[in-house]
Amino acid sequence: MKKTKTIFEDGNHKWVAIVRDPDKPNYLIDTNEYLVTHGSQGMLLDPGGAEVFPAVFSALSSEFDPSALSAIFASHQDPDVCSSLALWLEFNPQMRCYVSWLWAGFIPHFGGSAETFVAMPDEGVDISLDGLMLKAVPAHYLHSSGNFHLYDKVAKVLFSGDVGAALLPHGEDGLFVENFDKHIRHAEGFHRRWMGSNEAKRRWCERVSQMDIGMLCPQHGAIYQGADVQRFINWFDGLQVGISGG
Amino acid sequence: MTMTTALSTRPTKAQQAGVDLLRIVRINEEIKSVVGVAFKINIMALNAIFLAKRAGTAARGFGVLSNELRVFSQDLRDGMSALTGLIHGCVTEVSVVLQDIRHTALLRRAVELSPVACGRDVLAAREVENDRHAERLARLRKQLRGALDDAFRMVELGGVLAKSAKIEAAYGQSFALPLSQVSGEFDGVVEEIRSSLEALRRSAFFTGN
Ligand SMILES: [Fe+2]
Ligand SMILES: [Fe+2]
Repeated sequence: MKKTKTIFEDGNHKWVAIVRDPDKPNYLIDTNEYLVTHGSQGMLLDPGGAEVFPAVFSALSSEFDPSALSAIFASHQDPDVCSSLALWLEFNPQMRCYVSWLWAGFIPHFGGSAETFVAMPDEGVDISLDGLMLKAVPAHYLHSSGNFHLYDKVAKVLFSGDVGAALLPHGEDGLFVENFDKHIRHAEGFHRRWMGSNEAKRRWCERVSQMDIGMLCPQHGAIYQGADVQRFINWFDGLQVGISGG
Repeated sequence: MTMTTALSTRPTKAQQAGVDLLRIVRINEEIKSVVGVAFKINIMALNAIFLAKRAGTAARGFGVLSNELRVFSQDLRDGMSALTGLIHGCVTEVSVVLQDIRHTALLRRAVELSPVACGRDVLAAREVENDRHAERLARLRKQLRGALDDAFRMVELGGVLAKSAKIEAAYGQSFALPLSQVSGEFDGVVEEIRSSLEALRRSAFFTGN
């Protein structure tokens, strides 16, 4: 079973990270799922793959009633992001799934009906979670061509999908980045290869530099907080991406 | 002791569904080839009718039989299209069952792992749905078995017709040779279909071993 860690809490407004499954087989990439709750509703960000569903579900259910999940936010179309969709829908068939319009016809291959999907336009949308306004921030081509991050202005948390991801070796897998220089070595290869566009990266760095972010939460690896957030943005800005060895 | 061994070697539901899928795919391939052969029978029956007409009074008995063969070939074609429809239904249903099994296994693990009692109703509802799918597959399997039996009986009758035609051909005077050639070919093809169908009826998909 995965662990849950509340990373922000103000009354019933919460961010819960669901992380680090000791029983997960190694051939599956490790993922972080995030639950945002406000009022009586909950939204699950990048709910993960079908294979890790039991671990994510059981951890989540210890914190929150899964049938009260009103929405899923899928940053992009990858199987590690949302191939568990059909299983979550069993608990609340009315659940909505927010996805880029680009993938609105693709992700239904993982499950759902015509009513399930809310197609987000390229410029992004505001999503209300029982009155809390969350912002879907465009991050196209980083790495997916239809890609969004999710910003919570009140909690000052940015969920950044695959941006900021790191493939951490065993024993160096703390939830928060502690030594930036040491950590970023595990992120470099991932960003060089998976991120496809220097121009898109430039625009993203400019956009998020202007946002007030206390925590940058990637789908893989560790959370950047405090000064490490801007450190990451600067590092990413200077990195040449979209290069393959072949 | 025997009981324990039997239980421990019994395949899981998922393994069983996987094996069923392989079997049904093989049956599908066999039926496709039988349908192809059955199509040849249509052309042969037409040939036999033309030949009987040319032989005229010299082969009156053969003429009557060739009409019967034509009716048989049409019935066979209908029987084959019923088989094709049923086999497609079975392939779909086995795939659905296979998907149910994976889906349910993940749900069950989630509910079991959950530290709070949660999701048991969802799991129960899923199992009811699975049972419905399994029943549908069982129904289709029975129908397919029935359709195979019908086709087999029909082909046995076709074999009798072909053998009678062979006998009649001998009385065809100057047409005896071509008539016996046509009826001989007919008999060969019917025999080919008969043995294919017989093998299909013995498939473990129906006997469950
Ligand atoms: Fe991805
Ligand atoms: Fe990912």
